[in-house]
Amino acid sequence: MSVTEPMARADDAAPVPAAVRFYVAHERAILGTLMVILFLVAWEGLERGWWACLLHPLLGASAERWQLKPIFISSPTLVAAAAYRMFFVTGEIWRDLAWSGMSYVLGLALAIAVGIPLGLAAGWYRRFSYAVEPLLAALNATPQVAFLPLLVIWVGTGVGTRVLIIFLLAVLPLAINAHAAVRTTDPRLIRVAASFSAGDWRLFLTIILPSTIPFLLAGLRLAIGRGMIGVVVGEIYGSAAGVGAMISQAGSRFQTDKVFVGVLTIVAIGVTLVEIMRRIERRVDVWRPPS
Amino acid sequence: MTIPAHGEHYGDRRRPALARLYLAHERLAIGAGTLVGLLLAWEAFGRSGLVDPLFLPAPSQIAQAGWGLSHDADFWNDLAVSGREFILGYAAAVAVAIPLGLAVGLSRRLQYMLGPFVDTLNAVPRVTLLPLIVIWFGIGIWSKVMVVFLGAVIPILINTQAGVKTSEARFIRVARSFSASKLKVFSSIILPGTVPFIFTGLKYGAGRALLGVVVGELYASTAGLGHMIAEAGNTFQTDVVFFGVLIFMATGLVVVAFLDVFERRFERWRPDLH
Repeated sequence: MSVTEPMARADDAAPVPAAVRFYVAHERAILGTLMVILFLVAWEGLERGWWACLLHPLLGASAERWQLKPIFISSPTLVAAAAYRMFFVTGEIWRDLAWSGMSYVLGLALAIAVGIPLGLAAGWYRRFSYAVEPLLAALNATPQVAFLPLLVIWVGTGVGTRVLIIFLLAVLPLAINAHAAVRTTDPRLIRVAASFSAGDWRLFLTIILPSTIPFLLAGLRLAIGRGMIGVVVGEIYGSAAGVGAMISQAGSRFQTDKVFVGVLTIVAIGVTLVEIMRRIERRVDVWRPPS
Repeated sequence: MTIPAHGEHYGDRRRPALARLYLAHERLAIGAGTLVGLLLAWEAFGRSGLVDPLFLPAPSQIAQAGWGLSHDADFWNDLAVSGREFILGYAAAVAVAIPLGLAVGLSRRLQYMLGPFVDTLNAVPRVTLLPLIVIWFGIGIWSKVMVVFLGAVIPILINTQAGVKTSEARFIRVARSFSASKLKVFSSIILPGTVPFIFTGLKYGAGRALLGVVVGELYASTAGLGHMIAEAGNTFQTDVVFFGVLIFMATGLVVVAFLDVFERRFERWRPDLH
């Protein structure tokens, strides 16, 4: 009840045992770890038949339902073994990672190069914004992955399609945030600078750009996430290499452990990228007054 | 080069009526003009013979394909299947995410327990799980319902939780000093403050749900609009692909507009910040 009880209660009674104090200090980590361990044990038990054995005296023969085949759900130990194999023994995943990484970086770079200038221009020139706003809104409401079959017709099944789908997904949050950012610039600051006859370029450099940076970073964080959708979807739709392709091929061969390795690799990359962006945003955000 | 600020064009009386009309509706005029201009240029380009219609069909050809499809029972079946997947998955996501988000926002312990799972799922595009979901649920409608559910549930949950967390602590303290019950605090302070956040989540969630329908059907399906697009793409019926994309675009716009209208109804009390 953090909201209704904003003040800590743990320290009103004088002597608290050390174990309790330790628990209270690290409650978040302890509870979180506990749940993750429980989840992993439950999962492992489903595959190894621990629960089937435990429930057998109670349920009789129908307890067998509590054991599942490894091709159906795999298990934490099987996934760990597969991960070890793929990363360190055969090293097959590195090639996929390099392949996916290349299209990701290219697509994201293209999205930044197009999206941010487009958004800034739309925010600055009113008439230009009237012209592009309907198009941006329509594209933004569309699930852009629906363009995949069109992209395949236009540029084939090669790396071009994947770069373009990543671009399409990532460019909209960048452009929309850049647009909103210029719009929310304090008009008083601009008027003051303009009264001191600052040129457009100077206005842009000293007022618009600094005040838009938090928005641009927020847009970039969204774009990073969208781009990952693009990588995965572009690859599972039709590609020979890449982590998404690996996941899709392993899935159709019922190599469930390999699928999990791929998914977890993407989770790790996603968590890392988002965390890096958060840190950068927090650094830049320091100036903002607390709301 | 103008500062995007307050309306600058009060119809100047000395200007002709036509110019005044334009200035009053400049936004609409430029927006619609760009759209019409683009469509005309596209049509001219498509008809000029410079480009194969298999590569880029003209708007009129796309409209024709759409007209043809509207007499096709398969098309209506695809539409119904996709619609069912979207509605079932999204409804399940809303039904799970809003109560769970409120609970997680209210209870610190619950947040600690579920945090690792929610954060993990949030960091990964849920469509990555598609191959697993197909193994578990098959290639029928239920795998797509599941992808839609997973796509939508996380943004709704996270926004609801954030809404509860940002409840004004002062209001709560005031209410409690007047000995309001927990239920009263929840229903008259926390819940109303959370509604705008829930709507933000619902909007994000709708986008993710639509994405789930498309990707799920592109990946493995026997029916549905995504299936139709993929099939048409493989047989170079580019006009049909375009028509399918247009339907997804229209759906996205309608869903967002619908949620916007709802949001405005709930949001009247909020002070205008602009």
